[in-house]
Amino acid sequence: MLALAGLILWGSFAWGPRPLAPSPAQVTAGYGVRNAVAAVVLGARLWDTLLEVLVFAVAMAGVRFGLSPLPRAGKPTPLPESHLLARMGDVLFAPVAVFSLYLALSGHLGPGGGFPAGAILGSGLLLLALAMGMEPLSRRLHEGTLERLEYGTVAALLGAGVGMGLAGRWGPGWFVAVNLAIALEVAIGAWVVLHRFAAHRGEL
Amino acid sequence: MAGPVGLATAVGLAGLGFFVLAVRRELIFKLLGLHVASGGVGLFLVATGHRPGGIAPILGLGPGPTVDPLPQALVLTAIVIHFATLALALVYVIYLTERHHSQDAHRLEREEE
Amino acid sequence: MTAALAGVAAYLVLGTLAFLGRGRWLGAAAWLAGAGALAAWAPGFPETALGPGPWPIRLAGDPVALAFWGLALVLHAAVLWEEWGRGGAFHALVTLLVGTTLALVLSRDLFNLYVCLELTSLLSFLLVGYGARPGAIWASLQYLLLTTAGMILYLFGLGLVYGETGTLALSELAGVGPSPALVVGAGLLLSGAAVKGGVFLLGLWLPRAHGRAPHAISALLSGLVVKMGIVALFRISSALGSGPILAGLGVLTGLGGLIYALWEVDIKYFLAFSTASQLGYLLLGFGLGAPLGATLYAVGHGLFKALLFLGAGKALESAGSRRIPDLAGRLGWPVALALGLGIWSISGLPPLAGFVAKGALEADLPAWGRWLLLAIGAGTAASFAKLLPLLQPVGEGRLKGELVLIPALVALSGWGLASFHLTWAATGKAVAAAALGLILYPLLRRARPRLPRLTLDRAVLGLLAGTLGLTLALVWSRLSVP
Repeated sequence: MLALAGLILWGSFAWGPRPLAPSPAQVTAGYGVRNAVAAVVLGARLWDTLLEVLVFAVAMAGVRFGLSPLPRAGKPTPLPESHLLARMGDVLFAPVAVFSLYLALSGHLGPGGGFPAGAILGSGLLLLALAMGMEPLSRRLHEGTLERLEYGTVAALLGAGVGMGLAGRWGPGWFVAVNLAIALEVAIGAWVVLHRFAAHRGEL
Repeated sequence: MAGPVGLATAVGLAGLGFFVLAVRRELIFKLLGLHVASGGVGLFLVATGHRPGGIAPILGLGPGPTVDPLPQALVLTAIVIHFATLALALVYVIYLTERHHSQDAHRLEREEE
Repeated sequence: MTAALAGVAAYLVLGTLAFLGRGRWLGAAAWLAGAGALAAWAPGFPETALGPGPWPIRLAGDPVALAFWGLALVLHAAVLWEEWGRGGAFHALVTLLVGTTLALVLSRDLFNLYVCLELTSLLSFLLVGYGARPGAIWASLQYLLLTTAGMILYLFGLGLVYGETGTLALSELAGVGPSPALVVGAGLLLSGAAVKGGVFLLGLWLPRAHGRAPHAISALLSGLVVKMGIVALFRISSALGSGPILAGLGVLTGLGGLIYALWEVDIKYFLAFSTASQLGYLLLGFGLGAPLGATLYAVGHGLFKALLFLGAGKALESAGSRRIPDLAGRLGWPVALALGLGIWSISGLPPLAGFVAKGALEADLPAWGRWLLLAIGAGTAASFAKLLPLLQPVGEGRLKGELVLIPALVALSGWGLASFHLTWAATGKAVAAAALGLILYPLLRRARPRLPRLTLDRAVLGLLAGTLGLTLALVWSRLSVP
C-alpha cells in the first residue's frame, strides 16, 4: 500500500545519520559500575526506568482485573503425564533460580540486570508449573502476598529511586539493590500473567 | 556492516507489522502485527548505536571503541513497555472474543456500535 | 525542581499503593502532596538534569507546566469527589494517571516524553474499559492499537534524531541544521505525538474512546490527558522549529472535528468531537507563537469540557438513552445550571473563561488565524445550540464534582479578565460569532450529510496517511530552504 511504500522511503533516509563520536565507557561509568548500559538504565535514565517499572505493574494489575470478569475454566485440562517432565522440572528449577539470581546480582558488572533475571525466574516458574501442575503451585504462591509484594516493591522502588537520585548517591550497592527489586517485580508479574491466563483458559 | 543491514531489516520488519495491522481482519493478527513492528523498532534503535569495530560497552573488556550504550538502554525500556501493552491488549481481545465468538474486526465494529 | 519531582513521586507511590486498598484516601493524600509541591515550585524552575553522565533526563518548570499542574489538580479533585463511592482500582488508576501528566509536562527529553505518553495510554486504556460498559472494551482496544502504532512511529523518529545528533535533550536539538534524517525523524516524532493528542486524521480513536468511557473518565481524558499529546507536540515543535506544521494540524483538526460535531446525535460522541475540534485552537496557538494564550485555553477547556461531560453523564443516566433529542428536560436545576455554564463558556461568550482565553489567544495570531478562530467559534456555537433543550430544569439534583469545577472556572475567568485587556471590539466579535452560530444552526440541521464512519481500519489508514503527509510536508518545507 501507499503508506507502506512511504515507510520504506523513510527507511532509506536512515543512511542519513552520521554516527557521532561515541562517549567513552569511562564517562558513563562515572556511576561506579563497569557496565555502561546498566549505568545508563539505572543511572542517567533512572527516571525512565522507574516509570517503566510502573508501566509493568499497571499492566499486571490490568491483567488481574481484566480477566476476573471472565468465567474461570472448570476443570483444568490434565497435563500430559510425563515422569521425565515431573522429575526434571523440579530438579531444573533450582539452577534456573540460581542463574536468575546471578544475573540480577552481577548486572552492573556485565550483561544482565534485573529485567532478564525476572523473566528467567518467571520461565523457571513456568517449568515448575509444568512439573507439578498449575493448581498445586498456585496454592503455594499465595496471591494476596504476591500482590502486596509486587506493589510494595514498585512503590518502594519509586520512592527510593527518586530519593537516591535527588541525593546523588550512586554506587554499586545501589545498583545491586535496584536490580534485585526489579527482578522480583518482573518475576511476580510474569507469574501473574501465567497463572491468570492458565486459570481462565483451563490449559497451559 | 551490521549497521545498514540492521537498519534495513528493522524498517522491513516494521513495515510488515504495520501492513498486517492494516490489512488483516482478525484482532489477534493485528496484535501480532504490532508485536512484530515493535520488534522492528527495537532493532532499529539498537542498530543506530552500532559503531564499526565496536565491542560491548563494559569497562575493562578491552581497548578499542565501544558501541553506543544508550540505544540499548532505551530498547530495554521500550521492550518492557511494549510487552506490558500488548499483554493487556491480549486480555481485552480474549474478552471480546469470548463475548462475540468472533475475531473479525468488522463484525465487532458493527456489534459494538 | 526537588519539590516538583517529590510531588510527582508522591503521586506515583501513593497511586501504586492504592491498588492494595483504600484507594480514594490515598488518592486524596496524593492530591495534598501534589498541591503542596505545586506551591513549593511555583513559579518555575530552570532546566535541570537528573543525574550526571552524558545523557541525563532534563526537567524544567515553565508557565505551561504550572498551568497544567493546576488543571490536573482541579480535575483530580473533581473526579475524586464525583466518584468517591467507587472502589477497587478506580482511584488507583486515576491517581497514577494524574501523576503521570504531572511528570509529562515537566519533561524536556524525547525518550522521557515517550515513556510518559505510553504510561498515560496504558492507564487511559484501563480506565476507558473500566466496568466493561457496552462498547467500552472495543473503544479501549481501538485506542490502544492506534496509540501503540503511533508510538512505534515515534520511536523510529527518535532513533533517526538520536542517530543524527547524539542527544535526546530537547534543548540541545535546537541548533542543529536540517538534514534528511533529522527532518524525517522530526516528522515521525510529531506524528506519534499527534496520534496521542487526538488530532483529527491521526487520532481517530478519540471520539469512540471518550464517548464510551465512564463519565468522569471522559471528563478527565478530554480535559487533561489528550492535552498531553498536544504538550508533547509543542515541546518537540519548539525545539525543532516546526510551528507551521502544528498550525496546519490545528486547521485540520479544528475543522474536521467540527464537521462531525455538527451532525452528531449521540451526546458523548458529540462532546468528544467537540474536544477534537477545540484542540485545533490549541495547535494554532502553539504553532503560531501564542503559547500562553493556548495554555490558557487548554486550562479553560479542561474545566468547561469536564462540566459538560459530567452534566451530560447525569442526563444520560437519567434518560437511559444517549441520543440528544431524548435528553431534554432530564436535569435538576443545579446540574442544568452547571451544564449551562459549560455551554456558555465553550461558545466563547463573555465573561467566562472561553471568551477570555479566545481573546488572549487571538491577540498573538496573524490575521488569517483570527478569522479561522472566529469561524470555528461560530461553528462551535452552532453545534452546541443542539444542547439547549437539555437546559430545561426538572426538579432537584445534586452537584458533586461540579462544585470544584465551577469555582475554578469562575476564578480563571476573573483572573483572565483582570490580566488581559480585552476590548469592546473583542466582546462584540465573540457575541456576534455566537449569534451567527445560533442562527446558522437550524439551517445546518436541514442538511444531513452522510459522513464516513470512523472504523478501526479507516483510523489505521488515517494514521499512516497522516504520518506520511506530515513528514512529506516537513521535508518539503525544510529541504527547499537551504
